[in-house]
Amino acid sequence: MQRRDFLKASVAASAVALSTSAFAGITTQPIDSRKPSKIAFPEKKPLITYSDRPPLLESPRETFSRSITPNDEFFVRWHMPDIPTYIDTEAYRISINGLVEKELSISLKELKNDFEQVEVTSVLQCGGNSRSAFKPIAGGIQWGSGAMGCAKWKGVRLSDILNRAGIKKDAQWIGFNGSEKAIYYETPNFVREMKLDELDDHVIVAYEMNGEDLPYLNGFPVRLIIPGHYSDSWVKMLSNITVTKEYQSLFFMDIAYRVPDNATESETPEKRFKTTKPIAIMNVKSVIGYPTNETVVYHNSHVVVRGVAWDDGHGIKEVLVSIDGGKTWNTSILEKDVDRYAFRGFRFSFKPTTYGKVTIMAKAINRLGEEQPLAENVLWNHGGYKYNGIDTVTIEVV
Amino acid sequence: MKKIIILAIVAVSALFAQVNEAVEVPYISYEIKMGKGFETVDANCLMCHSFGYIINQGPQSKDFWYKKTIKMIEHFKAPITKEDTVIITDYLFQHYGNGKLK
Ligand code: HEC
Repeated sequence: MQRRDFLKASVAASAVALSTSAFAGITTQPIDSRKPSKIAFPEKKPLITYSDRPPLLESPRETFSRSITPNDEFFVRWHMPDIPTYIDTEAYRISINGLVEKELSISLKELKNDFEQVEVTSVLQCGGNSRSAFKPIAGGIQWGSGAMGCAKWKGVRLSDILNRAGIKKDAQWIGFNGSEKAIYYETPNFVREMKLDELDDHVIVAYEMNGEDLPYLNGFPVRLIIPGHYSDSWVKMLSNITVTKEYQSLFFMDIAYRVPDNATESETPEKRFKTTKPIAIMNVKSVIGYPTNETVVYHNSHVVVRGVAWDDGHGIKEVLVSIDGGKTWNTSILEKDVDRYAFRGFRFSFKPTTYGKVTIMAKAINRLGEEQPLAENVLWNHGGYKYNGIDTVTIEVV
Repeated sequence: MKKIIILAIVAVSALFAQVNEAVEVPYISYEIKMGKGFETVDANCLMCHSFGYIINQGPQSKDFWYKKTIKMIEHFKAPITKEDTVIITDYLFQHYGNGKLK
């Protein structure tokens, strides 16, 4: 499929880029040295903290030794500083309007009682996750690899809600608003749009995360879940759904969250590619949760490498682990496949037989045969999106 | 600049809210380097987001800081004057710069 050609092309293209231009963008391992702050945000454990307004929190590497991310360790990303800090659950309504037969205003009680309740376990990953791998710096938050998590979401199919409202014949787009607001009146609000024909039954309006209410910072009381897709359109505190015929031109649709519209989705810092496309679906990726770059183990002790792997929903076929810096690769044990959109846990045990530094790498391969490239073979794009290089940790054996 | 708010999270089990009153997002005190031009940054750059959002970019070139400021004006409609743009770029480059002009 597409992605496979992409991989082949990307290796070749990077070789050319490196030899012809000294200024070509390069990629390395993302930053992995940041520590959780001392201050905890509401309903969260202390996490790596970039900003308080808007709240931007990243999960540390250790979180990813488990394939379900606990709610209190789940990363947080808002766009606007003014986020509601209180929701009156009795009064809260989700409005459905625009090109519909019947406008709806759904209360939380109705959402939970009047529709079929469904669950999906799915990865939520920021398109800019691991952005700090890109050099020169790509615009946006310089995330390490923890701008992601995987949870079991419960809610109602968006299509069931739209069907109840009745979509008119010439409708083509659905716009979503959350309740976050810019402070300055002229700043564009964070509104997202989705093409109606991209909507499938996996898209849900969720009110529960891992069996609990959504945490405030993850979008209480309801957010959109779009399995397989990066989380730019997983609107939090969803309050309004508008069905339209025309696409509304919006900053956060037209400029943000887009990659070069070419086969390798890449460009160079001096020569930006003119046309862009939405970042859309996730590529195959894995992250090691344990050990970390600070782990020290005894010679000949039992070490169990653990991590998570995922893609856009085709599913993970295998995760290979190397303990010699990529010279040889071993098959790891995969955890049970809970959901095609979920993190697939993997583990690999070994006994270090050398002293000093040992470099551990993990490479996921999905059911289409697409595999992760080495970090240096990921091609640069100006937004720093879609990094999926092979994750590497170096431990010390004493 | 230290305004740390202690959070009160009450574990009440209501029908549909595990937090049944307003949550408070704590204030983080960032280490801000004082110097010429800071008042201009304070007046122009902290209205829509925290200082953390800015310094998360790491040390960058003068051109980078200039373009970032222009991006705020063009994309997010930040009401910043030409003179202030220069002062802000100089401040950011001096304190959060990487020594390179470009
Ligand atoms: C009118 C509101 C507003 C003002 C004023 C403003 N910004 Fe921003 N800034 C934003 C928004 C909106 C974002 C991006 C939010 C998003 O992507 O979700 C942002 C993001 C950023 C980022 C992150 C990197 C990036 O490219 O997105 C940096 C750095 C930044 N601003 C620096 C500044 C500086 C320096 C100033 C003062 C010159 C400033 N901002 C003033 C609204 C503003």
